Amino acid sequence: MRTFIANRLALFGAAITAFVLLAVMVGPWLSPYSPTEADFLALLAPPSLAHPFGTDSFGRDVLTRILYGARVSLSVSVAGVLMAALLGGSAGLISAYAGGWTSAILMRIADLLFSFPSFVLALFLMVVLGFGVTNIAASIALIYFPLFARLSRNMALVVKEEPWVQAAQLMGQSTFSILGREILPNIAAPLFVQIALGIAFGIVIEAGLSFLGLGVQPPDPSLGTIMADGREYFQRAPWVLTLSGVAISIALLGLNLLSDGIRDVMDPKLRARL
Amino acid sequence: MFFVMRAGHGDPALSALGDLATPEAIAAFHKRWGLDAPLVVQFWRWLSGALVGNFGVSMTIAGGVPIADLIASRLPNTMFIGLYALVIAVMISLLAGTVSALRHGRLIDSAATSMAVLGISMPDFWLSYVLVYALALGAGLFPSYGFISPADSLVAALYSGFLPALAVAAPMAAAFTRILRTALIETLYRDHVRVARSLGFTGAFIFVHYVLRNALIPYVTVIGLQVRYLLGGTVVVERIFGVPGIGALMVDAAFGRDYAVVQACALTFLVIVLIVNFLVDTLCNALNPRAA
Repeated sequence: MRTFIANRLALFGAAITAFVLLAVMVGPWLSPYSPTEADFLALLAPPSLAHPFGTDSFGRDVLTRILYGARVSLSVSVAGVLMAALLGGSAGLISAYAGGWTSAILMRIADLLFSFPSFVLALFLMVVLGFGVTNIAASIALIYFPLFARLSRNMALVVKEEPWVQAAQLMGQSTFSILGREILPNIAAPLFVQIALGIAFGIVIEAGLSFLGLGVQPPDPSLGTIMADGREYFQRAPWVLTLSGVAISIALLGLNLLSDGIRDVMDPKLRARL
Repeated sequence: MFFVMRAGHGDPALSALGDLATPEAIAAFHKRWGLDAPLVVQFWRWLSGALVGNFGVSMTIAGGVPIADLIASRLPNTMFIGLYALVIAVMISLLAGTVSALRHGRLIDSAATSMAVLGISMPDFWLSYVLVYALALGAGLFPSYGFISPADSLVAALYSGFLPALAVAAPMAAAFTRILRTALIETLYRDHVRVARSLGFTGAFIFVHYVLRNALIPYVTVIGLQVRYLLGGTVVVERIFGVPGIGALMVDAAFGRDYAVVQACALTFLVIVLIVNFLVDTLCNALNPRAA
């Protein structure tokens, strides 16, 4: 923890992430505007005191839409990645510990899913499941499932051979308690790094799908739908696309720096040299 | 994949005929495309076709055109943009990674590292618009929309494909730079490099023969892993820049509920990834005599 604080970039990333979280939790509540109600007296108004980020073609306050939209994007991504971490993580653990043909089948499925370009898989799943918010989370979960399964399996295979795990086996602890108490805590850190990275990429997937019109459906805001709106009148009102793009980059920057920081802390050898 | 697709949502008949279609028209559409046959029969027709490269015909977006033809006409464009992006990303990262590793801790290293973090924080579709705004509409250097196929004119394709390729390449370049920098710094302090230095070899000779060669193995491995993202990136970017490639085709098919086309596109991407992975493995083996 002390090394983490000493790492200025990681701290910066943590601060940005905290700021983004605070903004999406408290922001929509502070805003006097509605994210979906049109105001035809203020169409495409440039940034001003009343509308710091301007308004869009329906006269909706862009800052309010970004705050609500970021909340949607972030929740979708977090839900998807956590689901993947939970399912993939347990699948990997079980397959490392139990082995046998179930494990072999599980890992082949993971390999197959892993070979698809993520965005292609996301697009495919959206067609299968139907467009909409819940299904984006489900496809993010399916995209990340193989990654977490592989990661936790590979690490668990190593930890499994450690003397303290074998001692626990000899002491007659149940499989469940060995997995939970002896193995999981020792592979948790890389899983956290992957979760942070996954959330960042999940936001990109959500935004990309919604940007194309295959994800969150208008008038509901998400970072992707706001950017898709902004693209329509980019020449006349560049602030809509630009500011929503900056918002997404800030969120991603925070998460990327944070995951870099956690990784550096875990690997002191590398940190000393970089 | 086939069953998952059919179990899915939405009816291609509704997409082709509109929401107001009569039940008779829908039934006729189903009959015409064989959608009224039992699933097992449909699956057999699809599988037996797919194995010999026949994916059937497009139902809604290009009614009646064989999907294999659609893919064949668009595959060169996607391959061109993908390869172009890969070349750009490799060139940027070789330069930036080497410079920041050799000058690590200095200002230029911090600048390159910060650029790399910013690069991975910019989704490709957002970067596309920044590029369009700055280089196409602002400076007027490149076209903002449209693509000339390399089959027609290679020079025109390189020119009209530059912005889409750059948009796909930027996040890749950032990821490659980071891994190359780390790998180079790791290698710079290894014993064999110190020995070579103490023996009086010149810096450039040591760098090319002892450092770069060792650092290339993780670098090439990461390139192989990132090709999946690169191909995924082409989907959105093709759509934004109007490049008639597989990605744009897949998005159109997704909107048109053209199941067979979506499936065929996904399969094509999968096959490309598998081929690239094979090439990367071969290259890694060649670079590392111990693994051979």
